[in-house]
Amino acid sequence: MKSSESTLVHTETGSKVIRGSKTIETARTKGLSRKAKDNLAGYLFISPWLIGFLGLTLGPLLFSLAASFTDYNITSKMNFIGLDNYKRMFTMDDLFRTSLFNTVYYVIFSVPLTTAGAIVLAVLLNQKIKGMKFFRTIYYLPAVLSGVAVYFLWMQLLSPSTGLVNTMLGWFGIEGPAWLFDPEWTKPALLMMKMWSVGGGMLLYLAIMQGVSPQMYEAADIEGASPWQKFYYITLPMISPIIFFDVITSTIGAFQIFQEAYVMTENGSGGPGNSLLFYNLHMWNNAFEVFDMGYASAMAWLLFIIVMVLTAVNMKLGKRWVHYEGGDGK
Amino acid sequence: MKRGLAVILAVFMLIGLLAGCSGEQKAEAEKTKDGKVIVDFWTFWGSETRRPIIEKIIDDYNNSQDKVFVKHTFLPWGDIWTKNLASVAAGNPADVIVNDINTVAQRAENKQVEDLSQYIDDSFKQKFYPHLWETVEYDGKSYAVPFNTDTRLLFYNKTAFKEAGLDPEKPPATWAELEEYAKKLDIKNGDKYERVGFYPLWGSVGASSWMTNADDGNGFIEDGELSINTPKKVEAMNWIIDWKKRLGEKTVQAFQAEFGSEQANPFIAGKVAMWVDVGTFYTQLRDYGQDVEFGVAPIPAYEEGSGNWAEGGGFVVEIPKGAKHPEEAMDFIKYLTDVEAQKHWSVKNYDNVANIEAAEAALNELQGPDKMVYEASVKNLEQTKMFPVPVEYPDYHSRLNPHIDNALLGKTTPEKALKQAEEDIEKMKK
Repeated sequence: MKSSESTLVHTETGSKVIRGSKTIETARTKGLSRKAKDNLAGYLFISPWLIGFLGLTLGPLLFSLAASFTDYNITSKMNFIGLDNYKRMFTMDDLFRTSLFNTVYYVIFSVPLTTAGAIVLAVLLNQKIKGMKFFRTIYYLPAVLSGVAVYFLWMQLLSPSTGLVNTMLGWFGIEGPAWLFDPEWTKPALLMMKMWSVGGGMLLYLAIMQGVSPQMYEAADIEGASPWQKFYYITLPMISPIIFFDVITSTIGAFQIFQEAYVMTENGSGGPGNSLLFYNLHMWNNAFEVFDMGYASAMAWLLFIIVMVLTAVNMKLGKRWVHYEGGDGK
Repeated sequence: MKRGLAVILAVFMLIGLLAGCSGEQKAEAEKTKDGKVIVDFWTFWGSETRRPIIEKIIDDYNNSQDKVFVKHTFLPWGDIWTKNLASVAAGNPADVIVNDINTVAQRAENKQVEDLSQYIDDSFKQKFYPHLWETVEYDGKSYAVPFNTDTRLLFYNKTAFKEAGLDPEKPPATWAELEEYAKKLDIKNGDKYERVGFYPLWGSVGASSWMTNADDGNGFIEDGELSINTPKKVEAMNWIIDWKKRLGEKTVQAFQAEFGSEQANPFIAGKVAMWVDVGTFYTQLRDYGQDVEFGVAPIPAYEEGSGNWAEGGGFVVEIPKGAKHPEEAMDFIKYLTDVEAQKHWSVKNYDNVANIEAAEAALNELQGPDKMVYEASVKNLEQTKMFPVPVEYPDYHSRLNPHIDNALLGKTTPEKALKQAEEDIEKMKK
């Protein structure tokens, strides 16, 4: 048990353990240096994750890339067909275009709306008023609730004649639309639903706003700045890193919209007149309804490329407007 | 010492993880302690009503012999077939599974299901309704055995008929009569409808059913030929659109959004006087609509003598490709589709079973309204058409439905919609 021999040394800052030089020699004689041993232990500890990543993430990822060049149908076929799947998307599949349009429509509206909504809400909830904790909890609550139950709740709220939304519009003499039953209104209905859950983003903004130094606002007050000026020249630049983060993650999230349409349309069909046939829903149908896994894989990789490019553009543009305190933005 | 312990611990964790992944347990579980072969049977029948019925059938089978033990695995609707596919691909599927009747050929083509021809002879085939047996044949081989089927009937509210001055023993026989009756059965309060006599797209019926009904029972693809853009089908769509115009888009959407099942079903709640649904809709009427005095009739014919064509669906039992015990599985399938089991299923569910003798035997056991509905549905099988999805057009529904939707929403005309649908589907031919 030589390796456990060590000396306890008392220092000014406390006590620490200094191992004797014998220990190192013992390790060397066993063929592995201490560093290698440490590394080995480290890798072994993370091995569940490593195996999971290699087997369950990287493996399938590469497999789906390979499958996208074949007519793979899960059970019998896997013939190499080159770029046919990719060609088919652009030349033969009308539903591909519909689904891409619906998805882009959703991204274009949902990302700015939810970002702005979350910021406005955070500003309102950042006031020093009594009972603010209560309101913060209330507004955050919808972000905690999620999943199918919420979609069912919204289906009730959006019911044309007895739903709460149209009943409330009725108080003001407005006859509400049929929402999920009218192709003109299905996407706005989903956007409205999305706005309900901006609490998640709100919490991030609130956290960073709390960190903005009050001296800056005091200085601005002395200079006679209006509330709007304070928001525009102080708050906005200070929270810009979070805006940046929020825009990137919500863009990625919006491109992947699936559940809402799958749950809220009849048989997951994509709604009246395909108005809610989103990219991922069309992909899912190809994969699990028609078992055209090769084509679905190709669609998945195209989506990956689209999201990659958009994120890269965001990163590039981000340098212009994101303000990093105490750094040069790199 | 501590470091050494850490390494050992990590190694154990790794071994544990790998052991967890291996399929050791599975191999042991294929036989019971007393040596019976375990046959894993996947169904989506997990409801309070259905589960005891199927489990009794399984128990009876298990007690009837000493070679096979059938284990029932319930998987929720929607999950069951995705899971089946994954397990077929992984080479470890169930032994028997309940699957959709209209897509057997697809699975045969994609090698997801075992060929059962070696176990099946002509005398076995003849036990089943021929229009059902056709759906399980592909390329001259049999890939499944029909289990149950359904058909659509017109349920009508006799009390409402009397109130409207109609003869409750004379349901509408043609489309013209259906319209005439429906108008009499409507109850309007100012602008708002309190009761709608009839609307063709409510209930378990869609535009495609009416288009088939008008077109002498012809579906969208007949013997491999597209038959989508036909004059009769265009006419049927225009007919549906006229209903919508008369009632108003708002009424239709408002009613539709509030439909539910059981007490909230609009026919049971008395909000709609005539309603097309499958035979088993009767169980809801029996349990939640005790006060509803109703009658059943075939779906009205397009015109006198043109046939009361209805669309049918249903389920088959089959052996997924690569199942370990096909012989034992087939033994169980034969039991499941034989007279005794089928009769039990039928009497308890009022469901149309595929075995002809069982269907007729069930009829003799039922009484009163049970018998009335069941008899009507069995009789209706003669005018019921199955529309198996052709392998050349595996996803034709996803191309067709949006065009039908667009026409019904008034975005385009039925002529243009069906013409476009036919062109789109032609392009997708495999």
